[in-house]
Amino acid sequence: MNLSCQSCGAQLVVADTLRTTTCPYCAAPSVVERPPTPDRPPPTFALGFVQTPQKARELARENLLRRSFWAPRSIRNASVEELRGIYVPAWLYSALAESEFSASIGENYTETETYTTTENGKTVTKTRQVTRTEWCPLQGRHTEYVPDVLVTASSGLPNEELEHLEPFDLRALRRYDDALVAGWISEDPSLPQEQCLQQARAEVTGLLRKRLSAFMPGDSHRSLEYSTRFHQESLVVCLLPVWVLALRHDPKAPPLHFLVNGQTGKVYGRVPTSWVKVALAVLLVLLVLGGLYLLLSHGKVR
Amino acid sequence: MPSPEAQCQRCHSRLEAEDLRCPVCALPTPRPPRAVDRERARVIRCSNCGSAVAYSVEAQAPKCAFCASEMRTETQEDPIDQADRFVPFEVGTDQAHEALRIFLGKGGFFRPKDLASRAALDSLRPMWWPGWKFDAQVEATWTADTDAGSHRSDWAPHSGATHLVLNDILVSASRGLTQAETQKLSPSYNLAKAKPKPEGPPNAQVELFDVTRSGARRQILAAVELTARGHIARSELPGRRHRNLHAAVTLSGLETAHYALPAYVLAYRYGKKLYRVVVHGQDPSCVLGEKPLSWAKVAVTVLVALALLVIVFLVIQAS
Repeated sequence: MNLSCQSCGAQLVVADTLRTTTCPYCAAPSVVERPPTPDRPPPTFALGFVQTPQKARELARENLLRRSFWAPRSIRNASVEELRGIYVPAWLYSALAESEFSASIGENYTETETYTTTENGKTVTKTRQVTRTEWCPLQGRHTEYVPDVLVTASSGLPNEELEHLEPFDLRALRRYDDALVAGWISEDPSLPQEQCLQQARAEVTGLLRKRLSAFMPGDSHRSLEYSTRFHQESLVVCLLPVWVLALRHDPKAPPLHFLVNGQTGKVYGRVPTSWVKVALAVLLVLLVLGGLYLLLSHGKVR
Repeated sequence: MPSPEAQCQRCHSRLEAEDLRCPVCALPTPRPPRAVDRERARVIRCSNCGSAVAYSVEAQAPKCAFCASEMRTETQEDPIDQADRFVPFEVGTDQAHEALRIFLGKGGFFRPKDLASRAALDSLRPMWWPGWKFDAQVEATWTADTDAGSHRSDWAPHSGATHLVLNDILVSASRGLTQAETQKLSPSYNLAKAKPKPEGPPNAQVELFDVTRSGARRQILAAVELTARGHIARSELPGRRHRNLHAAVTLSGLETAHYALPAYVLAYRYGKKLYRVVVHGQDPSCVLGEKPLSWAKVAVTVLVALALLVIVFLVIQAS
């Protein structure tokens, strides 16, 4: 897509999924406006970056070094090769969730039981208190608002990675304004809305299992089943601040991909495992075990 | 931005002008959409000097690199709310003093005989304490164990749903008065008499709402939940005893108002100690506070009771 820079008139080439660009000639930060479509509505909210780039570097390096025990030695020399602050689009979902549930509720009671045992060579009859559980069926309804569910709207950030960066502090939510993303990389939603809605509902259904487990009376429960209907759903786009880092530790290996929550500083990234280190550790454990076995068996023989 | 009288489209709760989302059900508040008919690249300009603006992490706001002015963006405001309705004092300073005298005179067996005559008034402070009043409708679903329908175990599980209409529920925001005090004072206020300006003794102080709006909403939601649980425990559960009451509440039509409520805080001295008494600002018969105990009377009663027990024991032994 070709647009012209408002500042100097130069031609700007903007990728379809990007919302912002910087003019290569005059360095003016531009925000791209597009007619909205159902899959790509204008953002409603945004969270601003709080973590500075220096802090993001430090947090990622610190996190990597802390988890480097099983990693190759070269990790210790890892350096940040690239750092980008990206506003990632996510769908903010809320709804009224109405669930019908059925479960078997366990109510404990104590019973006195007689039993026979052998004491000093004689058979004696004794009594003892035992706790037993009576199971009663229960059906019911559970209704509540589910307020803050975030699912990714970007094909660049899988939902699983977003979950590792959560939670975001939604109290700092701002109404989206073009000025909030000016000068930064900002994406437009690239996943279809229907797919994200299904994902949000699935996330809520998973969340409700925990809520319903806590909602059950009795001393215990089993075979909890529920079906949920969603009413008055709302799905709006919220831009989330994410620092994306590439850490290079070995010139031959691909760089490590790290993410830092631009608001809270939570870090997510995979650290490679050094199979040499693991093999050595396994060998060491086997050697110690073998040594102990020999020592013990030697002692017995004597 | 919603208008000051806006309502949430989902739960019909009242919204404040600065709300981005409904505080009860989290539905985003509507904003007039800006029409975009064709694709274009826009440079955001500084309103001060006209140069390009970019978001600055350090300032946590869009900031102009040349003149360093910051742009304001709409965010969730969290101001400290103030009382806008004052319930007038209907009890004068003299009446409050009289109420204290009657309160002390009503003694009770363990109180010192000379309490009313020897107690000396130390201070009498008229004040308005802050409180929220809310109206809401609650859909509550619940589960609990009760003794109804139980077999071998003492308990059987039950579940249910109920609809509640809560009107004129007062929640205290006061730090000067304790929760127990405000709970006893609350039922005797006539909120219909509230006025926009304070009316009462000239030296009356207004205790400020020392809570932000979000904190207030948390307290109000907690109060709604507590009220709903109380109602369920009293009138919904079968059987006589219960345990493990779980309630899930969904609110609708939540409306809150900020009130300043009149009361007198008195301190009197008896012997060397100070005691505190609170007199209702509208109803002089509503008085709560502390009274000293006569330890001599307590000791004599305990001794008499012990002596009686010993005699009874001896009589039983002898027979």
